[in-house]
Amino acid sequence: MEVIRTRALRGPNLWSHHTAVEAIVQCSPEEQSIAQISGFEVRLRARFPGIGAFLPTGHDNDAVPMARVLEVTALSLQAQAGCPVTFSRTTPTVEEGIYQTVVEYTEEAVGKLAVELAQNLINAAMADTPFDLPGALAELRDLDEDVRLGPSTGAIVAAAVARDIPYRRLTEGSMVMFGWGSRQRRIQAAEMDSTSAIGETIAQDKELTKKLLHAAGVPVPIGRSVEDAEDAWKAALEIGLPVVVKPKDGNQGKGVTVNVMTKEHLTKAFHTAKEFRDDIMVERYLPGHDFRLLVIGNKLVAAARRDPPHVVGDGVHSVRELVDIVNADPRRGTGHSTSLTKIRFDDIALARLALQDLDADSIPVKGQRVILRNNANLSTGGSATDVTDDVHPEVAARAVEAAQMIGLDLCGVDVVCDDVLTPIEAQGGGVVEVNAAPGLRMHLAPSYGKGRAVGEAIVNTMFAPGDNGRIPVVAVTGTNGKTTTVRLTAHLLMASGLRTGMTNTDGVYVQGRQIDSGDCSGPRSARNVLLHPDVDAAVFETARGGILREGLAFDRCQVAVVTNIGSGDHLGLNYITTLDDLAVLKRVIVQNVAESGYAVLNATDPIVAGMANNCRGKVIFFGADRGHPVIATHLAQGCRTVYVEEGQIVAAEGSEQHRIALSQVPITRNGAIGFQVENVMAAVAAAWGVGISWDSIRLGLKTFANDSDNAPGRFNVFDYKGATVIADYGHNPDAITALVQAVETMPGKRRGVVISGAGDRRDQDIIEQTEILGRAFDDVTLYEDACQRGRVSGEVMALLRKGLDGAPRTSHVEEIYGEFKAIDFALARLQPGDLCLILVDQVEEALAHIAQRIKEA
Amino acid sequence: MIKKKDIEFLRVTHLRGPNIWTYRPVIEAWLDIGALEEFPSNKIPGLYERLTAWLPNLVIHRCGVGEHGGFLERLRDGTYAGHILEHVVLELQNLAGMKTGFGKTRQTAEGSGIYKMAFRTRQEQVGRAALTAGRDLLMAAINDTPFDVAATVAELTDMVDSLCLGPSTANIVDAATERRIPHIRLTDGNLVQLGHGARQRRIWTAETEQTSAIAEGIASDKDLTKSLLKSCGIPVPEGELVKSAEEAWEAAQDIGLPVVVKPYDGNHGRGVSLNLMTQQDVEAAYALAARKGGSKSVIVERFIVGNEHRLLVVGKRLVAAAGGESLWVTGDGKSSVTALCDAQINNDPRRGTTEDSPLNIIIPGDHAEVILELQRQGMTPDSIPQDGQKVLIQLNGNVAFDVTDQVHPDVAAIATLAARVVGLDIAGIDVVAQDISRPLEEQGGAIIEVNASPGLLAHIKPAHGHPRNVGAAIVDHLFAAEESGRMPIVGISGKHGATMASRLIAWLLQISGKKVGLTNADGLFVNGRPLPKDGFTPWESGERLLLNKSVEAGVFESDARMILTEGLAYDKCTVGVVTDVSGHEELAEFYINSEDQLYSVLRSQVDVILPSGCAVLNAADPLVVEMAELCDGDVIFYGVNEQLQAIEAHRQEGKRVVFQRADRIVLAHGDEEVATLPLSPLVPPEAVLAAIAAGWALGMKPELIAAGLRNFEAKPKKAHH
Repeated sequence: MEVIRTRALRGPNLWSHHTAVEAIVQCSPEEQSIAQISGFEVRLRARFPGIGAFLPTGHDNDAVPMARVLEVTALSLQAQAGCPVTFSRTTPTVEEGIYQTVVEYTEEAVGKLAVELAQNLINAAMADTPFDLPGALAELRDLDEDVRLGPSTGAIVAAAVARDIPYRRLTEGSMVMFGWGSRQRRIQAAEMDSTSAIGETIAQDKELTKKLLHAAGVPVPIGRSVEDAEDAWKAALEIGLPVVVKPKDGNQGKGVTVNVMTKEHLTKAFHTAKEFRDDIMVERYLPGHDFRLLVIGNKLVAAARRDPPHVVGDGVHSVRELVDIVNADPRRGTGHSTSLTKIRFDDIALARLALQDLDADSIPVKGQRVILRNNANLSTGGSATDVTDDVHPEVAARAVEAAQMIGLDLCGVDVVCDDVLTPIEAQGGGVVEVNAAPGLRMHLAPSYGKGRAVGEAIVNTMFAPGDNGRIPVVAVTGTNGKTTTVRLTAHLLMASGLRTGMTNTDGVYVQGRQIDSGDCSGPRSARNVLLHPDVDAAVFETARGGILREGLAFDRCQVAVVTNIGSGDHLGLNYITTLDDLAVLKRVIVQNVAESGYAVLNATDPIVAGMANNCRGKVIFFGADRGHPVIATHLAQGCRTVYVEEGQIVAAEGSEQHRIALSQVPITRNGAIGFQVENVMAAVAAAWGVGISWDSIRLGLKTFANDSDNAPGRFNVFDYKGATVIADYGHNPDAITALVQAVETMPGKRRGVVISGAGDRRDQDIIEQTEILGRAFDDVTLYEDACQRGRVSGEVMALLRKGLDGAPRTSHVEEIYGEFKAIDFALARLQPGDLCLILVDQVEEALAHIAQRIKEA
Repeated sequence: MIKKKDIEFLRVTHLRGPNIWTYRPVIEAWLDIGALEEFPSNKIPGLYERLTAWLPNLVIHRCGVGEHGGFLERLRDGTYAGHILEHVVLELQNLAGMKTGFGKTRQTAEGSGIYKMAFRTRQEQVGRAALTAGRDLLMAAINDTPFDVAATVAELTDMVDSLCLGPSTANIVDAATERRIPHIRLTDGNLVQLGHGARQRRIWTAETEQTSAIAEGIASDKDLTKSLLKSCGIPVPEGELVKSAEEAWEAAQDIGLPVVVKPYDGNHGRGVSLNLMTQQDVEAAYALAARKGGSKSVIVERFIVGNEHRLLVVGKRLVAAAGGESLWVTGDGKSSVTALCDAQINNDPRRGTTEDSPLNIIIPGDHAEVILELQRQGMTPDSIPQDGQKVLIQLNGNVAFDVTDQVHPDVAAIATLAARVVGLDIAGIDVVAQDISRPLEEQGGAIIEVNASPGLLAHIKPAHGHPRNVGAAIVDHLFAAEESGRMPIVGISGKHGATMASRLIAWLLQISGKKVGLTNADGLFVNGRPLPKDGFTPWESGERLLLNKSVEAGVFESDARMILTEGLAYDKCTVGVVTDVSGHEELAEFYINSEDQLYSVLRSQVDVILPSGCAVLNAADPLVVEMAELCDGDVIFYGVNEQLQAIEAHRQEGKRVVFQRADRIVLAHGDEEVATLPLSPLVPPEAVLAAIAAGWALGMKPELIAAGLRNFEAKPKKAHH
């Protein structure tokens, strides 16, 4: 078995809505059914007993190819390592022994590693060599913990997803973007984009924090900075014993000593603190427990009591042994993923023991509480108990005032007091710290008590009820008419005042300004538009390549437009060999229409019309013929339909009707250009699906001029010395048929056409193009493409020639090498009143060339 | 007792708010000039000459005379030591770079030799130091002993530099003052609050409280910034992150020479090498960047040919731009670098060898940094560059020219977009372009960095061109045109019933839906919750309310003692209430010996009323009635007796009054009786009337006021200690 290629499908794709690894797998004849490999399955299952079944019940005699084994193994490995994955699939391709295997992942790196490890496991089973399954699972688990979002960020993302808010990681760390375009928001762990940098700086400065809290009447332990140990003692006496000694601007409780009563202890504490920072603070020691109050927006959302790590003596074991026993608790992990962490038994713990006249080998008497650290952080073995329901309103009010005074919209307020049941002031407690970017783990999954919905609270602060951060997204695909439909739809959205981003095969545009060039019909360009802060709506040309390569850039769209499939284009590439394959690929956008959204489908193309069954949202059918059975049925059902009647485009839904005269839509030339009428119907339906007003749609249709600046290579009409010249990028039989129909409505004495054939089409498709042209044109100028895409020179020309054999109308055929020369040749033959269709290949250059010739004329 | 010729400080007080002298903070010094009472300046030979020699700028002090040289005229004709000291101190402050003009000196009693002298200062410690230094200087001048003026000024200048606001922050604060937005400095540094209470916005140099912490994080991650900008179609120098010298050279070849090499997470241009062409240079630059950046991760990117510009974006606007001019020559295949400099750089008419020339002549061989720059390009001053080859002569990262008016609109649009993409409300965008007046795309220009908390100096004080008022842009960004940052403030002074009135007004504000801060003789309260006083002075208690971000309205009782010793806590108020002018007997220690002198203390309360505000004055106290004319805003008189002269006259003028009639309280606006409320059992009745008038002045409905009076709790709560 050989894995020829793997790809990460990072969005909804051909196979499913899930992110997945897609592998092209080659199996030898023997591997096409593993039953032929003696003992293989037994050896495999011995090495990985947790692997699932290869076949559904009752299919025991079906062949299981090795690709399927790879699939099931890679999925099971991930599942056993704790990743929530369920989808996998293997399909044979048209090529013998080549399979496409798809395995869902939650983390790309983990998915890829799982495929790799699955190969190793299969190889081990084949060769009957050992395989370290626990090691492999541990490797996957570690990688997963490393790359996936941390618990705080993960909880916020989960809450956003539950509210249907799309998200995207901006870094490998914890920076995440929610929503799209102008409605996007960002977080980084427990910081929001609205969290103030000044607020964070103030919170870092404990003295300033205390000063401000004090001003606002929030109780704080008074204290001051000290110069040296002697000054520290002086300060302690001013403040009153006991005191706390700690580094200014410290974090995670490093170097803090509490409950200092004697000068000796104070001196020691001063030096401990000094190891971490130069600036040392002495302040009043507040007796009581450590509480963490989480404030989000202007509300107290959660509260936890934090207890320092400790062990309880049993009169038998030493402190060291007691710690080991406690750490053996399976709930205690090593990282940030569990509700408890192992107690660290290090120098800080030993120093804390020494204060209790103990060392590592002391055996505390039964029931003796031995504290191993002063601070109660979970990361050093402390525990958290949820006390949210106990918080007295006055306590909550002080926490909120503290947050407000510091200027933080999301923070953890550390309070020391005996309990939270009574006001802090009444107990002589106080706020000791305000923390920006607080850890959420102790509230999400406290060691004891209920978890709290803090992720939800954060998301609700950023997004008002009902706001899911989405901008309207229109995805457009099809064989022909995509680009014009995309441009026109974007134009209609802009006419309604939405700042619109657009991607297509020419580039990326935001509000009409081109920000990227080249073929931008893939997911990367679409993602860029969704990131842009000035975009209120987006229209994406969604080409097959991107869907195949990476999947969609979005999880859901408001409108999906499929213009047509016709007889297809680019068939034969990437295992898309039949029209059905192509339909399955193109309908991916239809499958990912939001429930509140619309699929805009061409009713007259049976394959496209059939996609209606794959849509979760509603369907708008369009088609010129009101009498077409699909249109008529849809209309009768009172559903949204767009058709043409008496020179008007009609948009109907039940008894409601909106009519736009084709005379008011310049690109259709009073309705004469049939394929433009189709594009207009599709774009109108898309704009309707987004909810644009009819006034805006009318205005947009009127102002959309299809000159070459607006849609280069899409039916650009010029006048050359009294002859009509039309330039178009049409390059498949359907497009050419449509062009011929359009051109036939236009006057022209003698009719000429200039054409090449792209090498990456099937022979039959190339031949068919000239067959169509031969029925409608007098002169045909053939030219050879600049890029032959894998064919030898002259090969395409010969195919084009073949299509002209026995052409009913063509009387003159010329073969020319080079696009510009061919254009010049055809132009030179034109007489006033003639017509010439130029099928351009290098769109920009050719159009520039034509423009130059017209200028000279 | 034989008096010495000396100036003794009996008491020095920093009055931190509006006071009997002026609206602004001053230092008030009580002086005993002893025997100098017998020696006005004209009686001390040589004093005039010595003082004017040491402090020649005294000539511009106008003093009471009101014209240039006014003070010197007084000095020549004979004035007393206290007054001279006032001018000496002001002059010392000016010399130290802290511009102030206000001073006043008054003798407490004729012939006593005891003076109260006050002078304006912007920073207490500097003011106190200037006062001491001023006395020493003056005594040296009187006694004809030497005095080192220069050293004293240098010391004071150091203090000003370290203790006063930095220039960028000061520029913003000045712009706020211009818009009459108050400010409070929160630290010894540059953290300043503009506005009061819940209406405040904080700034910290060029950061605002709206500046996002996440955005700052993004801006400090150059790679992330660049990838976000690039995604949004903003031109950036394409680059790669490398982790070794070999990778650096590979990347340089991929990207195309010349390249820039810089630390991944560095700042201030440390460890950055530019315009690198050779493997040797790139590898050496990698080592430097890795060392300075403290990390193996180093960025290699395309070197953008052009000049550096700093574009300052505030909100959605470009507000200023500054540029530096790097010097380049283009080879012709024949001339040496030195000759090219003469032909292409030194032909600039601004360049010359005299002191008047704004720019220097460049002779490559004479400038070490030019030689170094050429070395990095593998050249010497005598090298002959190829035809068309661009050679860098001098890089100028120092953006000293204001180019705001030249920035092409597309460039401005891209700069503001860059700030939005990163998420910063204030950002300094570094742009390299050959010509900032043309779009970037057509010249291969690029945005090379987005900076949070950008320096403003290059725009406030450019070396060349127009200074830009960026402070005003920042203040306008924080406060909409109609916002003043002020919350409703009611100030109350007087002896009888002032405390009661303050509580009642606070209560009315509270039931009107505002979170109210109250400071009065009973203590400090927020919405009725007592806060511990913790040894705060009355002024400090007042400031606590102004600092409090949750407080939406403030009520401040300020007695005469507080005004005398500290000043008012607020610069301006919406409503000022004066109940009576009485009790001067208790203030003899401040040399307040009559009702008239007390009047001049309590009038401060009326002096600070905003033009849109209102004075609430007791019609029964003739001295209080007199204060009406001091008020910039409206006046409401109140009194138990409807027939009081002030009430009747005020009504006749069509103005507002509040009085009692039988068992009703009447609110009258001229002839019209707007509302009548039932009599309240609360005492004293004058306090109730004052509170009603204040409530009315604040725009409350009479029904609300009536309801408030009914459910008012007469006893204040006690604070926990």
